Amino acid sequence: MAKVYLIGKDAVPGRISLGKGELLDMVLVALPGVSADIGLEVDLDGENAELNLYGLYLCPNEERLNINVKVAHNVGRCTSRQLFKGIVGGRSRTGFYGLIYVAKDAQQTKAYQENHNLQLSEEAKVETRPQLEIYADDVECSHGATVGKLDEQEQFYMRSRGIPEDKARELQMISFISSVAAQVEDETLREKIYDSLSEC
Amino acid sequence: MSEVLLEIKGLHAEVEGKEILKGVDLAIRRGEVHAVMGPNGAGKSTLSAVLTGRPDYTVTAGSVTFAGRDLLTMSPEERSWAGLFLSFQYPIEIPGVSITNFMKAAINARRKAAGQEEMKPAEFLKLMKEKMAFVQMKGEFAKREVNVGFSGGEKKRNEIFQMAMLDPTLAILDETDSGLDVDALKIVAQGVNDLRSPEKAAIIVTHYQKLLEYVVPDVVHVLKEGRIVRTGGRELVDIIEKEGFEKIDG
Amino acid sequence: MVNLQVTMDDKTLKNILERQQYKEGFVTDVEQEYVPKGLNEDIIRLISAKKEEPQWLLDFRLDAFRKWQKMTEPSWGHLKLPKIDYQDIIYYAAPKKDSERPKEIDPALMETFNKLGIPLREREVLAGVKAKESQVAVDAVFDSVSVTTTFRKTLAEKGIIFCSFSEAVKEHPDLVRKYLASVVPSGDNFFAALNSAVFSDGSFCYIPKGVKCPMELSSYFRINASGTGQFERTLIVADEGSQLSYMEGCTAPMRDENQLHAAVVEIVVEQDADVKYSTVQNWYPGDENGRGGILNLVTKRGICKGSGSHLSWTQVETGSAITWKYPSTILKGDNSSSEFYSVAVTNNYQQADTGTKMIHIGRNTRSRIVSKGISAGHSENSYRGLVKVNPGAAGAKNFSQCDSLLIGSNCGAHTFPVIQSSCPTAIVEHEATTSKISENQLFYCNQRGIGPEDAVGLIVNGYAKEVLSRLPMEFAVEAQKLLQVSLEGSVG
Repeated sequence: MAKVYLIGKDAVPGRISLGKGELLDMVLVALPGVSADIGLEVDLDGENAELNLYGLYLCPNEERLNINVKVAHNVGRCTSRQLFKGIVGGRSRTGFYGLIYVAKDAQQTKAYQENHNLQLSEEAKVETRPQLEIYADDVECSHGATVGKLDEQEQFYMRSRGIPEDKARELQMISFISSVAAQVEDETLREKIYDSLSEC
Repeated sequence: MSEVLLEIKGLHAEVEGKEILKGVDLAIRRGEVHAVMGPNGAGKSTLSAVLTGRPDYTVTAGSVTFAGRDLLTMSPEERSWAGLFLSFQYPIEIPGVSITNFMKAAINARRKAAGQEEMKPAEFLKLMKEKMAFVQMKGEFAKREVNVGFSGGEKKRNEIFQMAMLDPTLAILDETDSGLDVDALKIVAQGVNDLRSPEKAAIIVTHYQKLLEYVVPDVVHVLKEGRIVRTGGRELVDIIEKEGFEKIDG
Repeated sequence: MVNLQVTMDDKTLKNILERQQYKEGFVTDVEQEYVPKGLNEDIIRLISAKKEEPQWLLDFRLDAFRKWQKMTEPSWGHLKLPKIDYQDIIYYAAPKKDSERPKEIDPALMETFNKLGIPLREREVLAGVKAKESQVAVDAVFDSVSVTTTFRKTLAEKGIIFCSFSEAVKEHPDLVRKYLASVVPSGDNFFAALNSAVFSDGSFCYIPKGVKCPMELSSYFRINASGTGQFERTLIVADEGSQLSYMEGCTAPMRDENQLHAAVVEIVVEQDADVKYSTVQNWYPGDENGRGGILNLVTKRGICKGSGSHLSWTQVETGSAITWKYPSTILKGDNSSSEFYSVAVTNNYQQADTGTKMIHIGRNTRSRIVSKGISAGHSENSYRGLVKVNPGAAGAKNFSQCDSLLIGSNCGAHTFPVIQSSCPTAIVEHEATTSKISENQLFYCNQRGIGPEDAVGLIVNGYAKEVLSRLPMEFAVEAQKLLQVSLEGSVG
């Protein structure tokens, strides 16, 4: 079961080490109104360790949010997957800094990272810095980062079916965050996340 | 009887520390087509891999002589230059490299190794055209990237095309018939039949009898659990067809 | 008969014999004149005086030098830069002119460029026979001076100015003064400031309104003298609606010392103009133990000034011990667009930190980044990029694809992109992958008779095809060979 940390409420660990064969599923959630500087380092120190790290940040107003994640593959045969999604509006500022580090000889590493952002306003500022630092060759690593807007064709399609613009936007945002929100098993919290989209 | 082209003696081989071939003996004479049949996991693909020198396969015992030379000490490209060709079960994609450039590199590497000059562009193009017509590939085929975006049938036809281009002394067809429709199968069969000559030989590795309806083998071997458990004529194919591999053993 | 005197010391010869691959590593024996070693205001005055420069240019240099003195070397690159003693470098070296025939090119230089495949004689185009055979105009720079610029007359008929930077200062001072440092200010960064203070020569190019340049223009930079640095400056201006394809090449002798190359390239692209800038960087990379090689620390930047303007960068980086280089575009005009296509190969102990910056200012601006890094041996290869979308850049779009290929387990491949967006209607996408060269592909090639080194060359060329296919014909073949040669010894 994925461990969920509500940023601003739960203390997010600064550093986690995963030993041989250990599995960690973790979700970081920042709800509207939360400003914070999060630094997290996960060290994969034993073979066959696996990390699934998810993050979601909803920053529709004046939030200042920085997320700094380092995933270090110190030994081989480990897998890490990261997926971070953010909705940034109003006059908020967000920064995502994510480093995947693969040590020399950490062969057969699989490491993936994605950070996708929706930017909703002129005054908002989004920065994303995904980084790969790789010193072993038998690896499969990738990262992807995007900053974009709500798809207009999608919106038009929904509106042509009679869905009002506001509702259409909300549906799009639900669809945008769903892959991360789905990791939150606590139904009450998940509802709370979806409800807060109306503030965005 | 013609001269022995390939002679395998007591061949043991392993991959990732697991022994797959446990003493294979086989002799192929010039002019012959042999079929190596067997159930999944019998070691058929390992045999093709070892003969062509795949780096991740280790020979632990035995010997292989090809046209009088010790095959096992030769690098994969030296084996190719010596006339050995493997039609891959899963042909590899090489993005960005056109079939023309790929074949040019292959043919000229071989010529260079033989101390010959590079093939003249006009001669090369003529050869490409001729062999493309032979496998019924259209002109744009030459510009396509090696196996990228090819259907299963196209990949196998590409293997046969390359075989025709390189004109090997011994062709090994590893499951070339799997996933082919009848038309493609006929093209493959014609490719092998055209190669038949008193100097050359072929090994068809398969667990179906499909291709063997079109290319009639002179000798049929059954490979099970890393050993050849039975050798016979083409009648073996019918027996396997009727009774499966279970009942066949030494 | 021209008697070429190309001499080599024993060590260089041995290097060449052992390391056939860097065939440009020879030294030309010509009499050269130098300014004294070291850097101070007097040296700058001396360089300026040698070039008979106007006061404003000397003032520009001195101003840059004073800025430089207050700056420190940038350390943010993923590089181990050797300590550079800026007082131990000769900042100006030029082959001596024959006093009796000052207009003629020294035959030894002629032969040097010939040997490098750079024709300094304009090929005569026979009437009626292949009248449109592809031609390339060359500005050939040897150490600190331009030796010659070909096809000047032909180009002048169309109003195109193509000459050495020094000549441009004399003949077109207004143009130079207007555009110099308009894209890369003299205090932009440590190495740009150094260049602004001491630059010796380079190329200048102006394409007038509506003119499509009838041939490829190119600069070829050759370092020859030891103990020197090369600091060239290139300025390209494409006026409204004009079109230009520009190529740049470079080589240097093999030496155990590191030599500094700190260039600045500035490109101004006016409304609806189209500039394509291609580089094949083949400076001496050092030996297989990491001794010697060029320190290639350059600033290249263009501005898409007018609406609808377009600037395309293509680079093939195979040489240099260290490469620190980020050809960038400021997308100021509405609907302007830019691309950056790059292949960077590092082998042995080479280090490369290269990429681009795309600054979106105008509306509906577009940029595209395709980077292919290939690391082998003990090398380090990093992509570093910035995509910045300013608040007013409505509808801006960027797409970046950065792939890294590793050959062997002792090298590093890194990707450091930054995306900064302040515009809700912009779309910025970045993707990156890192993987090793496929053993299946290698074996497949081997089975077809293609040996390991050729197979690596073939696979890498295929991997880089999207970038290589952007190069002008004249460059493409050379670049393909170079990729192969650069990776020699990387497998086996």
